[in-house]
Amino acid sequence: MASSQGKEARTGWLLISPPAIYALLLLAAPLATVLIYSVLTGGRGEIGLPFTLSNFAELFQKPIYQSVMLRSLYVSLAVTFVTVVLAYPIAYFVSFHVSPSKKALWLFLITIPFWTSYVIRVALWRTILGYEGIVDSALINIGVINEPLNILSNGMLSMIITLSHAYAPFAVLPIFVSLEKVDRSLLEAGQDLGESRLMTFIRVTLPLTMPGVIAAVLIVFIPTVGDYVTPELIGGGKVPLIANLIESQMLKIRDQAQGSAIAVAAMFVVGMVSLVFVLLNRRFLGGQK
Amino acid sequence: MTITEKTMIEFRDVHKYYGDYHALRGINGTIRAGEFFSLLGPSGCGKTTLLRTIAGFEDISSGVIMIDGKDMADVAPNARPTNMVFQSYAIFPHMSVAENVGFGLRRDPRSKADKARAVEEALDMVGLRGFGARAAHALSGGQRQRVALARALILKPKVLLLDEPLSALDKKMREHMQVELIKLQRQVGITFILVTHDQEEALVMSDRVAVMFEGEIAQLADPETLYRRPNSKQVADFIGTMNFIPVTVLSEAGDTVEIEAKGLGRVSLDASLAPPVRGESPVVGMRPETLTLLYDDQKAAERETEGVIDEVIYFGDMTYYDVYLGGTDVEVRLSMRNVPGRPVLEVGTKVRVAWSPSALVLFR
Repeated sequence: MASSQGKEARTGWLLISPPAIYALLLLAAPLATVLIYSVLTGGRGEIGLPFTLSNFAELFQKPIYQSVMLRSLYVSLAVTFVTVVLAYPIAYFVSFHVSPSKKALWLFLITIPFWTSYVIRVALWRTILGYEGIVDSALINIGVINEPLNILSNGMLSMIITLSHAYAPFAVLPIFVSLEKVDRSLLEAGQDLGESRLMTFIRVTLPLTMPGVIAAVLIVFIPTVGDYVTPELIGGGKVPLIANLIESQMLKIRDQAQGSAIAVAAMFVVGMVSLVFVLLNRRFLGGQK
Repeated sequence: MTITEKTMIEFRDVHKYYGDYHALRGINGTIRAGEFFSLLGPSGCGKTTLLRTIAGFEDISSGVIMIDGKDMADVAPNARPTNMVFQSYAIFPHMSVAENVGFGLRRDPRSKADKARAVEEALDMVGLRGFGARAAHALSGGQRQRVALARALILKPKVLLLDEPLSALDKKMREHMQVELIKLQRQVGITFILVTHDQEEALVMSDRVAVMFEGEIAQLADPETLYRRPNSKQVADFIGTMNFIPVTVLSEAGDTVEIEAKGLGRVSLDASLAPPVRGESPVVGMRPETLTLLYDDQKAAERETEGVIDEVIYFGDMTYYDVYLGGTDVEVRLSMRNVPGRPVLEVGTKVRVAWSPSALVLFR
């Protein structure tokens, strides 16, 4: 009995060893490296002992770090908000108003635009939002505006638009799944007990789908904080986010210790904000199984 | 409990189509205020659809549904004087028991304390005193059902709709809840409409029953009439057990019909008690308990027929016998209570069977 269990355990380890080795070498090891680098003494192209916390002290002394971190948080929270608020009705429509046999097709269609490379999609957004781009020329032609809006010149706004579009399917899916799990008789019960459809949504559907909403929030929020491509391509590098700052520290200034310290601090902030979302999730999961 | 002649619900030629499928085919009838009414039928007969049209969850294709004298055509479910106990109970999983029960009180003008007291009272009524703070998901099936009942009854609806509420419970619990529901209904005096496919449940609980087949009400009557005087072979077959014996009609004069029943011989029946003529090949139906085995030198009160026992089914309190009648291939099932001094007979025993012409129902 004991030996057969041991054999099973060995088989189990063998089966998960490829991903385990992968995770160890490509996730844990780099992470540990960054953590160690962040407390080493760095200079232009060199890094070494002694251990120091001066890299972190630097983050508090120079206002640029805080303002870029705040800007990153602002952009990613705005993207998260826009994405989730727009994704919810889409998920709701597919879950409640599309016949069961066509739901898979609808989800498939929703993901189709995202088969294109992200870089190409960003380039297309430049064409759409840019000076005398598609938005401008359309609005001028129908006489809504006289001067081009040139939305692209507003780096933050165009980044929020681009990223929200990029992460939309990732937000639709978890919300869709949570909506699918809602027992439809609960909605009838809500109406039966005297509530309108809207109030039933607010009192029954929304709380029951909050776990899906929180999952969508995390899925969108965490990667967008660290997004590096969009500020480069959309903002032309003029509106750097925290990832761009890390990149320039690491590769241009070549102070890997300082770059690592920014990365660790950013991870900490993202971790804290995510924790708040997770706790919110617990709060809403608390009442159900 | 006060069943009056006052009509609570009236159906006037109600039809419901799902695409080409004709789910309700001209429902007519009334449900009286304060009665325990059941919609009984096999699955797919339209009973749940009919219940849902009362609640307003299904629109009707044509016809009229009146509740307490008002046409419900344009009344949304949340504005109807009905509340429902769902088959799945539909307990809100993100709320406590008290929040579930108090769900419908949001717009109630009473103070918070008064509402809390009303919730307590409702829980007390269904035997869940002190359960208010429990999480809804921590309840057993029977408790969930009680919460669903309390949640509906707290709103004091004119009609309580119950969609197969007992089907998810085990047999013991089901029988217990049947009695509790009857008591509860008497206590609150609200019209209860129960949907069930269990004929025994319908007979036990209801003041009146509508038996439905294929989107139509086949018979609407009190349980005793349904059981003793079913108006069609289909109803007779659905409710309880009934033996059917082929007959030939010999003559008909006024209310008296002379028939020749295979194995029973010539019988004259009162045609005024027989169901309407449908042009089917004629049979008579008899319930197992209207046939009695005669022991030793017992004499039949009315008629007796000889037979041979073909099968013995022992139930503890009862024994069912399948008996070939009068040397023919006509087999009837009869039931005998196993009282002291009455031995269980064996297969192959020659017996005498007593029966009464007045217990025969002629279907033709």
